[in-house]
Amino acid sequence: MKQFLFLNLPDTEINCSQVDCNHSMAHSSYPYGDPILAYGPQAISHPQMVPQMLGLASTRVALPLDLAEDGPIYVNAKQYHGILRRRQSRAKLEAQNKLIKSRKPYLHESRHRHALNRVRGSGGRFLSTKQLAQSNAEFVTGAHSGSDPTNIYQKEHPLEVESHSSKDGDNASFITTYSDRPCLSGNNLNFRQQECMFLGNSANMSGAPQCSGGLTFGGAKQRTSVVR
Amino acid sequence: MSDAPASPCGGGGGGSHESGEHSPRSNFREQDRFLPIANISRIMKKALPPNGKIAKDAKETVQECVSEFISFVTSEASDKCQREKRKTINGDDLLWAMTTLGFEEYIDPLKVYLAAYREGDSKGSAKGGDASAKRDVYQSPNGQVAHQGSFSQGVNYTNS
Repeated sequence: MKQFLFLNLPDTEINCSQVDCNHSMAHSSYPYGDPILAYGPQAISHPQMVPQMLGLASTRVALPLDLAEDGPIYVNAKQYHGILRRRQSRAKLEAQNKLIKSRKPYLHESRHRHALNRVRGSGGRFLSTKQLAQSNAEFVTGAHSGSDPTNIYQKEHPLEVESHSSKDGDNASFITTYSDRPCLSGNNLNFRQQECMFLGNSANMSGAPQCSGGLTFGGAKQRTSVVR
Repeated sequence: MSDAPASPCGGGGGGSHESGEHSPRSNFREQDRFLPIANISRIMKKALPPNGKIAKDAKETVQECVSEFISFVTSEASDKCQREKRKTINGDDLLWAMTTLGFEEYIDPLKVYLAAYREGDSKGSAKGGDASAKRDVYQSPNGQVAHQGSFSQGVNYTNS
Protein backbone atom coordinates (compact mmCIF):
# COMPACT_ATOMS: atom_id res chain seq x y z
CA MET A 1 0.00 0.00 0.00
CA LYS A 2 2.60 2.55 1.08
CA GLN A 3 4.91 1.62 -1.76
CA PHE A 4 2.03 2.12 -4.18
CA LEU A 5 1.40 5.54 -2.66
CA PHE A 6 5.08 6.41 -3.01
CA LEU A 7 4.92 5.42 -6.66
CA ASN A 8 1.87 7.66 -7.10
CA LEU A 9 3.60 10.68 -5.61
CA PRO A 10 6.17 11.33 -8.38
CA ASP A 11 3.36 10.94 -10.92
CA THR A 12 1.43 13.64 -9.10
CA GLU A 13 4.53 15.79 -9.00
CA ILE A 14 5.09 15.34 -12.72
CA ASN A 15 1.46 16.23 -13.35
CA CYS A 16 1.90 19.33 -11.21
CA SER A 17 4.95 20.32 -13.22
CA GLN A 18 3.04 19.77 -16.46
CA VAL A 19 0.20 21.91 -15.16
CA ASP A 20 2.74 24.56 -14.23
CA CYS A 21 4.16 24.41 -17.78
CA ASN A 22 0.65 24.82 -19.17
CA HIS A 23 0.04 27.78 -16.89
CA SER A 24 3.33 29.38 -17.87
CA MET A 25 2.52 28.89 -21.55
CA ALA A 26 -0.94 30.34 -21.03
CA HIS A 27 0.60 33.24 -19.14
CA SER A 28 3.17 33.84 -21.87
CA SER A 29 0.45 33.83 -24.52
CA TYR A 30 -1.63 36.22 -22.42
CA PRO A 31 -0.28 39.46 -24.04
CA TYR A 32 -2.05 38.44 -27.23
CA GLY A 33 -5.16 37.84 -25.19
CA ASP A 34 -4.94 41.36 -23.77
CA PRO A 35 -6.91 43.11 -26.56
CA ILE A 36 -9.37 40.23 -26.69
CA LEU A 37 -10.05 40.57 -22.98
CA ALA A 38 -10.24 44.32 -23.41
CA TYR A 39 -12.89 43.78 -26.08
CA GLY A 40 -14.82 41.19 -24.09
CA PRO A 41 -17.04 43.62 -22.14
CA GLN A 42 -17.68 45.51 -25.37
CA ALA A 43 -18.88 42.39 -27.14
CA ILE A 44 -21.14 41.70 -24.18
CA SER A 45 -22.43 45.26 -24.05
CA HIS A 46 -23.01 45.38 -27.79
CA PRO A 47 -25.87 42.81 -27.83
CA GLN A 48 -27.46 44.79 -25.02
CA MET A 49 -27.40 47.86 -27.22
CA VAL A 50 -29.05 46.03 -30.13
CA PRO A 51 -32.59 46.04 -28.68
CA GLN A 52 -32.17 49.66 -27.63
CA MET A 53 -30.90 51.22 -30.85
CA LEU A 54 -30.69 49.18 -34.03
CA GLY A 55 -29.03 52.04 -35.89
CA LEU A 56 -26.24 52.18 -33.35
CA ALA A 57 -25.56 48.45 -33.72
CA SER A 58 -24.47 48.96 -37.32
CA THR A 59 -21.80 51.51 -36.36
CA ARG A 60 -19.17 48.94 -35.42
CA VAL A 61 -15.72 49.79 -36.72
CA ALA A 62 -12.96 47.38 -37.76
CA LEU A 63 -9.70 47.78 -35.86
CA PRO A 64 -6.32 47.62 -37.60
CA LEU A 65 -4.77 44.17 -37.95
CA ASP A 66 -1.69 44.93 -35.84
CA LEU A 67 -2.41 42.50 -33.04
CA ALA A 68 -5.13 40.37 -34.60
CA GLU A 69 -3.78 37.48 -36.64
CA ASP A 70 -7.09 35.72 -37.23
CA GLY A 71 -8.80 38.67 -38.88
CA PRO A 72 -10.35 42.06 -38.18
CA ILE A 73 -11.79 42.58 -34.72
CA TYR A 74 -14.94 44.67 -34.52
CA VAL A 75 -15.40 46.83 -31.44
CA ASN A 76 -17.79 49.41 -30.09
CA ALA A 77 -17.38 52.57 -32.14
CA LYS A 78 -17.31 54.64 -28.97
CA GLN A 79 -14.25 52.80 -27.74
CA TYR A 80 -12.31 52.78 -31.02
CA HIS A 81 -10.09 55.78 -30.31
CA GLY A 82 -9.65 54.78 -26.69
CA ILE A 83 -8.43 51.33 -27.68
CA LEU A 84 -5.98 52.78 -30.20
CA ARG A 85 -4.70 55.19 -27.57
CA ARG A 86 -4.22 52.38 -25.06
CA ARG A 87 -2.38 50.36 -27.68
CA GLN A 88 0.01 53.24 -28.24
CA SER A 89 0.53 53.61 -24.49
CA ARG A 90 1.28 49.91 -24.11
CA ALA A 91 3.63 50.04 -27.10
CA LYS A 92 5.49 52.91 -25.46
CA LEU A 93 5.76 51.01 -22.20
CA GLU A 94 6.99 47.96 -24.07
CA ALA A 95 9.59 50.09 -25.86
CA GLN A 96 10.74 51.35 -22.47
CA ASN A 97 10.75 47.73 -21.28
CA LYS A 98 8.22 48.44 -18.54
CA LEU A 99 5.59 45.80 -19.25
CA ILE A 100 5.47 42.94 -16.76
CA LYS A 101 6.38 39.75 -18.60
CA SER A 102 7.16 37.44 -15.70
CA ARG A 103 5.97 38.04 -12.18
CA LYS A 104 8.21 37.69 -9.17
CA PRO A 105 7.14 35.00 -6.71
CA TYR A 106 7.36 37.63 -3.96
CA LEU A 107 7.67 41.41 -3.76
CA HIS A 108 9.78 41.88 -0.63
CA GLU A 109 12.93 39.91 0.18
CA SER A 110 12.71 40.44 3.93
CA ARG A 111 9.13 39.21 4.12
CA HIS A 112 10.06 36.21 2.01
CA ARG A 113 12.89 35.26 4.35
CA HIS A 114 10.65 35.72 7.37
CA ALA A 115 8.06 33.41 5.85
CA LEU A 116 10.73 30.81 5.15
CA ASN A 117 11.76 30.84 8.81
CA ARG A 118 8.23 30.37 10.14
CA VAL A 119 7.24 27.03 11.57
CA ARG A 120 4.77 25.02 9.50
CA GLY A 121 2.26 22.45 10.68
CA SER A 122 0.99 19.36 8.94
CA GLY A 123 -0.32 20.27 5.51
CA GLY A 124 2.19 23.07 5.06
CA ARG A 125 0.29 25.91 6.71
CA PHE A 126 1.88 28.31 9.16
CA LEU A 127 1.35 27.67 12.85
CA SER A 128 -0.15 30.46 14.90
CA THR A 129 1.22 31.37 18.32
CA LYS A 130 -1.17 29.07 20.18
CA GLN A 131 -0.53 26.17 17.83
CA LEU A 132 3.20 26.80 18.17
CA ALA A 133 2.87 26.55 21.95
CA GLN A 134 0.86 23.35 21.58
CA SER A 135 3.47 21.89 19.23
CA ASN A 136 6.19 22.83 21.72
CA ALA A 137 4.23 21.05 24.44
CA GLU A 138 4.00 18.01 22.19
CA PHE A 139 7.74 18.25 21.62
CA VAL A 140 8.31 18.23 25.39
CA THR A 141 5.89 15.33 25.80
CA GLY A 142 7.53 13.39 23.02
CA ALA A 143 10.99 14.10 24.48
CA HIS A 144 12.13 15.76 21.26
CA SER A 145 14.37 18.82 21.58
CA GLY A 146 15.62 21.55 19.26
CA SER A 147 13.95 23.30 16.31
CA ASP A 148 15.48 21.38 13.41
CA PRO A 149 13.25 20.52 10.44
CA THR A 150 14.23 16.91 11.00
CA ASN A 151 12.54 17.10 14.39
CA ILE A 152 9.50 18.63 12.73
CA TYR A 153 9.27 15.65 10.41
CA GLN A 154 9.82 13.26 13.30
CA LYS A 155 6.99 15.03 15.10
CA GLU A 156 4.73 14.59 12.08
CA HIS A 157 5.61 10.92 11.70
CA PRO A 158 4.23 9.85 15.14
CA LEU A 159 1.09 11.84 14.39
CA GLU A 160 0.67 9.79 11.23
CA VAL A 161 1.23 6.56 13.17
CA GLU A 162 -1.14 7.49 16.01
CA SER A 163 -4.75 6.41 16.19
CA HIS A 164 -7.68 7.69 14.14
CA SER A 165 -8.92 10.03 16.87
CA SER A 166 -5.72 12.06 16.69
CA LYS A 167 -6.20 12.28 12.92
CA ASP A 168 -9.62 13.77 13.56
CA GLY A 169 -7.94 16.25 15.87
CA ASP A 170 -5.51 17.14 13.10
CA ASN A 171 -8.39 17.68 10.71
CA ALA A 172 -10.10 19.96 13.23
CA SER A 173 -6.90 21.95 13.71
CA PHE A 174 -6.51 22.16 9.95
CA ILE A 175 -10.02 23.56 9.60
CA THR A 176 -9.27 26.04 12.37
CA THR A 177 -6.12 27.11 10.56
CA TYR A 178 -8.08 27.56 7.35
CA SER A 179 -10.61 29.77 9.12
CA ASP A 180 -7.73 31.77 10.57
CA ARG A 181 -6.32 32.42 7.10
CA PRO A 182 -9.08 32.94 4.51
CA CYS A 183 -6.61 34.40 1.99
CA LEU A 184 -6.01 31.87 -0.78
CA SER A 185 -2.96 33.63 -2.18
CA GLY A 186 -1.23 32.90 1.12
CA ASN A 187 -2.14 29.28 0.55
CA ASN A 188 -0.41 29.37 -2.83
CA LEU A 189 2.67 30.93 -1.28
CA ASN A 190 2.65 28.27 1.42
CA PHE A 191 2.45 25.59 -1.24
CA ARG A 192 5.40 27.08 -3.14
CA GLN A 193 7.50 27.34 -0.02
CA GLN A 194 6.56 23.81 0.94
CA GLU A 195 7.92 22.67 -2.41
CA CYS A 196 11.11 24.64 -1.72
CA MET A 197 11.43 23.00 1.68
CA PHE A 198 10.83 19.58 0.16
CA LEU A 199 13.56 20.12 -2.43
CA GLY A 200 15.91 21.46 0.22
CA ASN A 201 15.34 18.45 2.43
CA SER A 202 15.88 16.04 -0.44
CA ALA A 203 19.11 17.88 -1.27
CA ASN A 204 20.23 17.68 2.35
CA MET A 205 19.66 13.96 2.85
CA SER A 206 19.14 10.95 0.62
CA GLY A 207 16.80 8.20 1.81
CA ALA A 208 14.89 8.92 4.99
CA PRO A 209 13.93 12.55 4.13
CA GLN A 210 12.36 11.40 0.89
CA CYS A 211 10.31 8.90 2.85
CA SER A 212 9.18 11.53 5.34
CA GLY A 213 8.52 14.00 2.55
CA GLY A 214 6.30 11.48 0.86
CA LEU A 215 4.42 10.95 4.08
CA THR A 216 3.91 14.69 4.44
CA PHE A 217 2.65 15.03 0.89
CA GLY A 218 0.30 12.11 1.34
CA GLY A 219 -1.03 13.63 4.53
CA ALA A 220 -1.61 16.96 2.83
CA LYS A 221 -3.44 15.23 0.00
CA GLN A 222 -5.70 13.36 2.40
CA ARG A 223 -6.51 16.53 4.31
CA THR A 224 -7.28 18.38 1.11
CA SER A 225 -9.76 15.69 0.14
CA VAL A 226 -11.27 15.82 3.61
CA VAL A 227 -11.75 19.57 3.34
CA ARG A 228 -13.52 19.18 0.01
CA MET B 1 -1.32 52.92 -6.51
CA SER B 2 -4.04 54.41 -8.70
CA ASP B 3 -1.72 57.17 -9.92
CA ALA B 4 0.49 54.67 -11.73
CA PRO B 5 -2.05 53.66 -14.41
CA ALA B 6 -2.60 57.35 -15.21
CA SER B 7 1.09 58.18 -15.60
CA PRO B 8 1.58 56.42 -18.98
CA CYS B 9 -1.47 58.29 -20.27
CA GLY B 10 0.10 61.53 -19.06
CA GLY B 11 3.36 60.55 -20.73
CA GLY B 12 1.54 59.75 -23.94
CA GLY B 13 -0.20 63.11 -23.85
CA GLY B 14 3.11 64.89 -23.41
CA GLY B 15 2.49 66.26 -19.93
CA SER B 16 1.65 65.40 -16.35
CA HIS B 17 -2.03 65.47 -15.43
CA GLU B 18 -2.20 63.82 -12.02
CA SER B 19 -1.10 66.10 -9.21
CA GLY B 20 -0.08 63.17 -7.03
CA GLU B 21 2.13 61.51 -9.60
CA HIS B 22 5.29 60.21 -7.99
CA SER B 23 5.97 56.92 -9.75
CA PRO B 24 9.69 56.57 -10.55
CA ARG B 25 10.20 55.63 -14.19
CA SER B 26 13.71 54.27 -13.77
CA ASN B 27 12.79 51.88 -10.95
CA PHE B 28 9.91 49.72 -12.18
CA ARG B 29 7.85 47.60 -9.80
CA GLU B 30 4.82 45.38 -10.07
CA GLN B 31 2.82 47.39 -7.55
CA ASP B 32 3.21 50.49 -9.71
CA ARG B 33 1.46 48.79 -12.59
CA PHE B 34 -1.23 46.63 -10.99
CA LEU B 35 -3.63 46.91 -8.12
CA PRO B 36 -2.80 44.80 -5.06
CA ILE B 37 -3.92 41.26 -5.78
CA ALA B 38 -5.08 40.52 -2.22
CA ASN B 39 -7.75 43.22 -2.37
CA ILE B 40 -8.87 42.03 -5.79
CA SER B 41 -9.20 38.43 -4.61
CA ARG B 42 -11.17 39.64 -1.60
CA ILE B 43 -13.62 41.40 -3.91
CA MET B 44 -13.82 38.33 -6.14
CA LYS B 45 -14.63 36.15 -3.15
CA LYS B 46 -17.70 38.25 -2.37
CA ALA B 47 -19.33 36.83 -5.49
CA LEU B 48 -18.54 33.22 -4.53
CA PRO B 49 -20.18 30.81 -2.09
CA PRO B 50 -18.41 30.46 1.26
CA ASN B 51 -16.50 27.32 0.24
CA GLY B 52 -15.45 28.66 -3.17
CA LYS B 53 -11.81 28.92 -4.17
CA ILE B 54 -10.04 31.01 -6.79
CA ALA B 55 -6.99 29.86 -8.72
CA LYS B 56 -3.96 32.11 -8.74
CA ASP B 57 -3.95 32.57 -12.50
CA ALA B 58 -7.59 33.64 -12.30
CA LYS B 59 -6.66 36.31 -9.78
CA GLU B 60 -3.78 37.50 -11.95
CA THR B 61 -6.02 37.61 -15.02
CA VAL B 62 -8.65 39.69 -13.24
CA GLN B 63 -5.89 41.87 -11.80
CA GLU B 64 -4.65 42.66 -15.29
CA CYS B 65 -8.20 43.17 -16.57
CA VAL B 66 -9.18 45.65 -13.88
CA SER B 67 -5.87 47.50 -14.17
CA GLU B 68 -6.32 47.80 -17.92
CA PHE B 69 -9.92 48.94 -17.46
CA ILE B 70 -8.80 51.68 -15.09
CA SER B 71 -6.14 52.82 -17.54
CA PHE B 72 -8.71 52.73 -20.35
CA VAL B 73 -11.21 54.96 -18.56
CA THR B 74 -8.53 57.21 -17.09
CA SER B 75 -6.89 57.85 -20.46
CA GLU B 76 -10.24 58.99 -21.86
CA ALA B 77 -10.75 61.32 -18.90
CA SER B 78 -7.17 62.51 -19.22
CA ASP B 79 -7.74 63.45 -22.86
CA LYS B 80 -10.75 65.52 -21.87
CA CYS B 81 -8.82 67.31 -19.13
CA GLN B 82 -6.03 67.94 -21.59
CA ARG B 83 -8.41 69.52 -24.08
CA GLU B 84 -9.90 71.73 -21.38
CA LYS B 85 -6.41 72.51 -20.03
CA ARG B 86 -7.19 71.29 -16.54
CA LYS B 87 -4.66 69.47 -14.41
CA THR B 88 -6.83 67.44 -12.05
CA ILE B 89 -9.08 64.54 -13.00
CA ASN B 90 -12.13 64.43 -10.77
CA GLY B 91 -14.98 61.99 -10.41
CA ASP B 92 -17.23 63.76 -12.91
CA ASP B 93 -14.54 63.46 -15.58
CA LEU B 94 -14.42 59.73 -15.03
CA LEU B 95 -18.20 59.45 -15.20
CA TRP B 96 -18.14 61.40 -18.46
CA ALA B 97 -15.38 59.14 -19.79
CA MET B 98 -17.39 56.02 -19.01
CA THR B 99 -20.41 57.53 -20.76
CA THR B 100 -18.27 58.32 -23.79
CA LEU B 101 -16.86 54.79 -23.90
CA GLY B 102 -20.28 53.16 -23.83
CA PHE B 103 -20.59 52.19 -20.17
CA GLU B 104 -23.76 54.17 -19.54
CA GLU B 105 -25.25 51.47 -17.34
CA TYR B 106 -22.54 52.07 -14.76
CA ILE B 107 -23.26 55.78 -14.40
CA ASP B 108 -26.31 55.61 -12.12
CA PRO B 109 -24.76 53.44 -9.36
CA LEU B 110 -21.53 55.41 -9.61
CA LYS B 111 -23.36 58.72 -9.25
CA VAL B 112 -25.08 57.39 -6.15
CA TYR B 113 -21.76 56.20 -4.78
CA LEU B 114 -19.96 59.45 -5.57
CA ALA B 115 -22.71 61.55 -4.00
CA ALA B 116 -22.70 59.40 -0.87
CA TYR B 117 -18.93 59.62 -0.67
CA ARG B 118 -18.86 63.40 -1.05
CA GLU B 119 -21.64 63.75 1.50
CA GLY B 120 -19.75 61.58 3.94
CA ASP B 121 -16.51 63.41 3.26
CA SER B 122 -18.06 66.83 3.87
CA LYS B 123 -19.77 65.70 7.07
CA GLY B 124 -16.71 63.85 8.28
CA SER B 125 -18.62 60.70 9.17
CA ALA B 126 -18.85 57.25 7.61
CA LYS B 127 -22.04 56.72 5.63
CA GLY B 128 -22.28 52.94 5.46
CA GLY B 129 -20.36 49.78 6.23
CA ASP B 130 -19.27 49.15 2.66
CA ALA B 131 -18.31 52.76 2.04
CA SER B 132 -16.29 52.98 5.24
CA ALA B 133 -14.68 49.62 4.51
CA LYS B 134 -13.64 50.78 1.06
CA ARG B 135 -12.40 54.07 2.44
CA ASP B 136 -10.38 52.25 5.10
CA VAL B 137 -8.80 50.05 2.47
CA TYR B 138 -7.78 52.80 0.06
CA GLN B 139 -8.04 56.22 1.78
CA SER B 140 -7.85 58.06 -1.52
CA PRO B 141 -9.23 61.38 -2.84
CA ASN B 142 -12.38 61.80 -4.90
CA GLY B 143 -11.04 60.92 -8.33
CA GLN B 144 -9.60 57.65 -7.15
CA VAL B 145 -12.75 56.70 -5.29
CA ALA B 146 -14.44 56.67 -8.66
CA HIS B 147 -11.63 54.33 -9.66
CA GLN B 148 -12.70 52.00 -6.87
CA GLY B 149 -16.29 52.12 -8.00
CA SER B 150 -15.37 51.59 -11.62
CA PHE B 151 -13.13 48.59 -11.13
CA SER B 152 -15.52 47.08 -8.62
CA GLN B 153 -18.23 47.28 -11.26
CA GLY B 154 -15.77 45.99 -13.81
CA VAL B 155 -15.07 42.96 -11.67
CA ASN B 156 -18.78 42.23 -11.35
CA TYR B 157 -19.11 42.68 -15.10
CA THR B 158 -16.31 40.20 -15.73
CA ASN B 159 -17.83 37.65 -13.39
CA SER B 160 -21.27 37.91 -15.00
